[in-house]
Amino acid sequence: MKPVIALTKGRLEKQFIQFLQERDYDVQPLLDKGRKLQVETDNFFAIFAKGIDVATYVEYGIADLGIVGEDILLEVQPDVFDLLPLPFGKCRFAIAGEPSNLTPLRKQRIATKYPNITTKYFRDQGKSVDIVKLEGSVELAPLLGLADDIVDIVETGNTLKENGLVVKEEMLTISARCIANRNSLKLKKAILTPLIDLFRVEEAII
Amino acid sequence: MFLPAGSKDEMGKALSNRFHVMEQFREITMMRGYKPISTPVIEYASTFTNEFIDMKLQDMMKWFNGEGEIEVLRPDWTTAIARALSSQEKIPQKWAYQGSIFKRNMPGVEYHQIGVEIIHHPELMGESECLLMAQAFLKEIGVGTCVIELGHTEIYESLVAELQLSKVEAERLRQAMHDKKKDEVYQIAAASSDKEKATELASLVDAFGSIEIIAEYEERWKDRENLLGILQHIKKLSEILLQSGSGEILVDLGRVKNLPYYSGLMFRGFLQSSGAICFSGGRYDRLYERFGESISAVGVALDVEVLAAQVKETDSLEKVCIIANEESIAFAENVRKSFQNCIVDVQSDSVNIDVYDQVYEIKKLNGKFEVIER
Repeated sequence: MKPVIALTKGRLEKQFIQFLQERDYDVQPLLDKGRKLQVETDNFFAIFAKGIDVATYVEYGIADLGIVGEDILLEVQPDVFDLLPLPFGKCRFAIAGEPSNLTPLRKQRIATKYPNITTKYFRDQGKSVDIVKLEGSVELAPLLGLADDIVDIVETGNTLKENGLVVKEEMLTISARCIANRNSLKLKKAILTPLIDLFRVEEAII
Repeated sequence: MFLPAGSKDEMGKALSNRFHVMEQFREITMMRGYKPISTPVIEYASTFTNEFIDMKLQDMMKWFNGEGEIEVLRPDWTTAIARALSSQEKIPQKWAYQGSIFKRNMPGVEYHQIGVEIIHHPELMGESECLLMAQAFLKEIGVGTCVIELGHTEIYESLVAELQLSKVEAERLRQAMHDKKKDEVYQIAAASSDKEKATELASLVDAFGSIEIIAEYEERWKDRENLLGILQHIKKLSEILLQSGSGEILVDLGRVKNLPYYSGLMFRGFLQSSGAICFSGGRYDRLYERFGESISAVGVALDVEVLAAQVKETDSLEKVCIIANEESIAFAENVRKSFQNCIVDVQSDSVNIDVYDQVYEIKKLNGKFEVIER
């Protein structure tokens, strides 16, 4: 029986495949997948899904392991084991907005794709804010007056710069992580451990 | 008409499987010396939200009563039974319950549970009785043996007691341990102690596997008497289980308690086939401390839905159809008595007879009713 791994489609998928390649894994089936959403390799079955769905497939035990961004884990808090950080997908959460010093007199309004992370962050600071949930191009919101500031993932800062926005406060840094189904990890320990050990590269800190 | 998400009607085989599970449970627990107990479905919220129990009000089905107090639909059996038993005599007691619990945060809200609570029993006896009863019951309903996992609250608790943590940090650490988030466990522990302590705590994340791994931790904790005592206890229990024909036994020495009243052994059962959790439970002496008592208490709750889905077709009775009409109803009712241990169905002649093993028709010949086999 091979383990089932749910992979986040897109950038994380490419970085994960490269990560395996560097460890001499045969990744050809993953590269040749075309439009298929399920692929079998010598070591595991891979399924490809959107990040948030990776968490769901792992929570329900369809996949044993998942490779997913920490932003998803913080936002939806799936009931899974959150085993370890991976050395890619690194970026940071920040509050950004137009570079003005004016503090609005009304309650601050924040546009974001991550309402839960944003609410918790401001609550921990003792602040109440209103949140406008957007699905993308969050940078537009302060420019068009939909919100005062935004909370978003910043990788290089180029998008912010080109739209005349600046980082006002760094919140936290995140990376891709390996998650596991709570029951699978216990019952399929023998077949999952080799893979998990392969992912464990930052063990040096422990 | 529509149903809310997760709510479901039950009928036919699915429902009879669930009843079968519950009937067998009643039978098995009665034969093992348990007495039945039931508590009301409506309770005060404070029974479950006080500092000893600390269940989240947000997850309960709740409303204000006429006096402005919050009432809830029973969210947990163990706590409700502890409330009911708090004024009882202090003699060994074994109680069996079955009924619904309600959780707003789960689709469908209503969950059927069966379980037992054992109080005033010697520790090892109470714990092994819970697990042996569960195994015997699973065998009886045809689910077979399951994989049992054993854990203990006091391993993590005693290691963490050596750190100086604020309440917020302690909760973050407990959550990280629950999520097996090794990097965060290390970071939180390292921030308030030295690297050695943090490493020890972080390695607890990986302390799970087959019962054989206990030997490794006996060596690792050879200077920690209390931890060795706990390992000894887990070993003794697993020996009892193995001698009684239990299947595979796993341990997770890094398990943390999900509710503050757990205090000692924790266990759960995984189904061999699907890996689903079919029962869980543990020791919760501390639950009774709020009633000013220091007593031994242990219990196990089984998930009726998970078990009912596993129930195989039991040897079914022979089905007999008696075709009657309005005139011959009373006669047919008497004929029914001549079939022992059969399902006897009196029907009109428009019935589909293919589903029956034997079919009889009541006909009137010469002014007298007669039973004629078809």
